[in-house]
Amino acid sequence: MIDVKKPHQRWVLAGLATASLLGSAACAASPPTSSGAGGDAANAAEPATGSAESNDFTDGSYSATGSYQTPGGEESLGVTITLASGSVSDVQTEPMPSNPTTELYQGKFSSGIGGQIVGTPLSELSVDKVSGSSLTSGGFNDAIEQIKREAAQ
Amino acid sequence: MSPTGCPGRFSFDAIGTVWQIDTPAKLSPEARAAVAAVIEEYDAVYSRFRRDSRVFVLTEGGSITLPPSGEALGSLYRTLYSLTNGAMSPLVGGSLEQLGYDAGYSFMPRGAPVPATAWDETFQWDGTIIRSTLPVTIDVGAAGKGQLVDLVSESLRRAGYPQHTIDAGGDMLAVGPSALRVALEHPYTPDSAIGVVTLQNRALCASASNRRRWADGLHHVLDATTGRCVDTVVATWVLADSALIADALATALFFVPPDVLLAEFEFDYVRITSEGRAHYSSSLAGALFS
Repeated sequence: MIDVKKPHQRWVLAGLATASLLGSAACAASPPTSSGAGGDAANAAEPATGSAESNDFTDGSYSATGSYQTPGGEESLGVTITLASGSVSDVQTEPMPSNPTTELYQGKFSSGIGGQIVGTPLSELSVDKVSGSSLTSGGFNDAIEQIKREAAQ
Repeated sequence: MSPTGCPGRFSFDAIGTVWQIDTPAKLSPEARAAVAAVIEEYDAVYSRFRRDSRVFVLTEGGSITLPPSGEALGSLYRTLYSLTNGAMSPLVGGSLEQLGYDAGYSFMPRGAPVPATAWDETFQWDGTIIRSTLPVTIDVGAAGKGQLVDLVSESLRRAGYPQHTIDAGGDMLAVGPSALRVALEHPYTPDSAIGVVTLQNRALCASASNRRRWADGLHHVLDATTGRCVDTVVATWVLADSALIADALATALFFVPPDVLLAEFEFDYVRITSEGRAHYSSSLAGALFS
């Protein structure tokens, strides 16, 4: 199930759950260490779960495609991990959906869509409610105002 | 509490925020009293600002018994404590006090930030029982208001008002056949919005660090492992089936990227970084202005 060749190793992940575990690794401050003695790079590419225990990775980008069964057939998700100084420095997921339902769910697993925020005045909007922080704490805001007044005297 | 006369709308101040409850028919006095009682009971258990609250007992160490809702709150906190590597913790109260966010609203930092007590064998939250061998200051501010919204919703249903919208200072729950359009307040320009989401039979909760500030760089979202304020994320919104989950995840998104939480929870989100970039779940792609 594993085809070991750098820099583009491909292996088959057990499913989306595994892919999201890899995502979690990206936010750990440092990679998990193991007491195992050093091995060569080829050993580092043992099954995906085992390899996470090892500290002996060579820096670079590693890509994998996971496939899993859905009620609508087999689906795939691409994952690329970048290692720098032995730590995961970046994780990219690439949804490869073949039906709309999968597209919806894979969107939730890939790291979201990014963009610069753009404001529109509330006076130009027709809305029922506003959700934010300005009303979160009357007591808090009262106290701050009081302190400001005292400080100004 | 000071209800206003608007028919079908019940407005009041409680737990430091403005509440609005909208129902198709005006709430009966009994239903209003039931809502008030739910809020008062919750505050009396969890407020770290009250010396007579149940969690205040733990500032000397010891054990307390919570109402039945304490079980869901504790297990959710435990899950998020693990997923955030200890950054999100109910034990963060002491770190908040250290920075000046204390019962007296002093807003005078007592010194350098202090990490919260670790959630280890000295602290146990089993079901509705909390035991602590160390003195701890509990702060459930990251999820408590959401749970309280859920409990108020439950009391409205019991009182014969199955359709309702509850808005607790921007954290809200809408139950019924009509959808609400809710603007997401701009984190830096409060009289503008960055998008509009549709809310129906779900909860929407927000967390933001830009407004509840009391000094340069000090605000209420702290990393419990360091006791310092988190500055990489400035605002988050979460849509989920319960306000408890939505509120807790909105705070958790300050500490970890969405993928970490999506492995365990079903929700939609918007997350704004300090550079003013938005990340959001694909189902909200049309909600934000561009």
